[in-house]
Amino acid sequence: MKHQHINKIMLAGLLVIAFALPLVIRSATYLHILVLLFFYAYLTTSWNIVGGFAGVLPLGHAAFVGIGAYTSTILSLQYGVSPWLGMLVGGVLATIVGVIISLPTLKMRGAYFALATIAFAEGIRVMVENIDYIGPLKLNGPRGLQIPPLETGLASFMFASKEPYYYIILIMLLAVMLLTYLISRAKLGYYLMAGGEEPEAAMALGINVARAKLIAMAISSFLTALAGTFYAQFSLYIHPKSIISLDMSFEIAFIALIGGRGSIVGPLLGALLLRPVGDFCRIYFGDTLPGLHLVIFGLVLIFVMLYQPRGIQEPISRAYQALLNRLIPQPSLGR
Amino acid sequence: MSMLHVEKMTKQFGGLRAIDALDLTIDKGQILGLIGPNGAGKSTAFNCIAGSFAPTSGQITFEGKRINGYKPWNLCKMGLARTFQIVKPFASKNVLYNVTVASFVTTGSRKIAEDKALAVLESLNFADKKDILAGNLTIADRKRLEIAKALATEPKLLLLDEVMAGLRPNEVDEMVEIFKALRDRGITIFVIEHIMRAIMALSDRVVVIQFGKKIAEGTPQEIANNEAVIKAYLGEDYVAAGN
Repeated sequence: MKHQHINKIMLAGLLVIAFALPLVIRSATYLHILVLLFFYAYLTTSWNIVGGFAGVLPLGHAAFVGIGAYTSTILSLQYGVSPWLGMLVGGVLATIVGVIISLPTLKMRGAYFALATIAFAEGIRVMVENIDYIGPLKLNGPRGLQIPPLETGLASFMFASKEPYYYIILIMLLAVMLLTYLISRAKLGYYLMAGGEEPEAAMALGINVARAKLIAMAISSFLTALAGTFYAQFSLYIHPKSIISLDMSFEIAFIALIGGRGSIVGPLLGALLLRPVGDFCRIYFGDTLPGLHLVIFGLVLIFVMLYQPRGIQEPISRAYQALLNRLIPQPSLGR
Repeated sequence: MSMLHVEKMTKQFGGLRAIDALDLTIDKGQILGLIGPNGAGKSTAFNCIAGSFAPTSGQITFEGKRINGYKPWNLCKMGLARTFQIVKPFASKNVLYNVTVASFVTTGSRKIAEDKALAVLESLNFADKKDILAGNLTIADRKRLEIAKALATEPKLLLLDEVMAGLRPNEVDEMVEIFKALRDRGITIFVIEHIMRAIMALSDRVVVIQFGKKIAEGTPQEIANNEAVIKAYLGEDYVAAGN
């Protein structure tokens, strides 16, 4: 049997397990943790298109989550627009904002770009916290917006149990992972990698690096905003501190750096490692040692950066490959 | 018609005039050598022509078209490719990936780009190393990779910035043969080089610059016997001693 076939079977097996998990896990708490795990894996995978492939370090993606969440929520509360439609509107709005912000900031290198994106996201948060109304649109300042759970069902994007949310975010995650896989193998993926690693050489090879990064940023902010709507419909209550927080932007970056920036599975692996650590810290040490999970994240990040600068995906995929070679030796190893 | 024509090109960095009213012409199918002592402005001239810097004044014409201030990626698409003196491989990717990045310039399909990249690697006797990470290559192979990347963009004019520095003599000879073969395929070549044996064997004409100014131009033989050139490289005393 060829390794390619085994890989396909393994992938199919993992998919079956992922889809069957809610049948085994009946606890609402654990399902909640899993939903948020996939939510962060989704956010980080979207972030990865620009933060991983394009080699820059945006630290303000929570702003796009906020734009998505507020857009769909306001549209549905005030105008009765379906959250599914609001999701797309939020995505388009976030894309526009993302492009406008990126035009000047993507020219900055390294830490300067990261700082600029932090400033931008914090600016949006402070603005939302202090604005009750933009024209007819009610933002309700720091008190946030509550979504009354009137009718449940797929059309209204509201459910009484956790399972539907689990499947929606799982499908979103799989779709965005497939998309990043396709991008990494397409011209755009090659151009982003080249522009991120050696911009001057990339430009000499016919690559408009700034434009490639801008396209990546547009895709990334669109996808990120979709998750914002999901979060709003999942928690039915959004406020600036929960949805546009610096914590969220940082956690995305933590997950990406530890999981493996620029790889397809890195964000998922990072979320699988960090989210449970964070959740159980909050459950068991929430009142005695609040913020313990951030200390642990920091320590893990230091160790990963020292010993596996390309993230935990590298040793894991290497170990998997070695195991395959041990179990089923191949005549030619291929790539 | 000349492939590249440079007229009174000047590049000023603050108070330093790195290039001073430089005139150059390369005809189609020619190999032109550019030499000069360290710091003479050779790479700056390349950077101006390839669009990395905009020249302060003067005219650069490529195939009859004025290209002052054009961006490097547009020039590359027009058929002007360059290599870098300090090699810039995409170190975390393998050789084939590196060259495929370049061959994407004419196509949107990965299959076509990869096939073209492989063909370029074959033509440079480099295909056996296609799976090696660019960061793990020897210096000679990195230089070869630079050339492969430039060639994969299908250039009409190739600017080579010291691609033979650091190579062993037999590798230099191999490179010279490769460039002659490229010239025979119709590619015009403009080459900066310090290895005189290579520049003498390769160039149809040679231009010598010092402190940003052209001090001599002619066939390799003429340049080798030019007093101003010897003075520039070795100083006044050697000219006197030679006489």
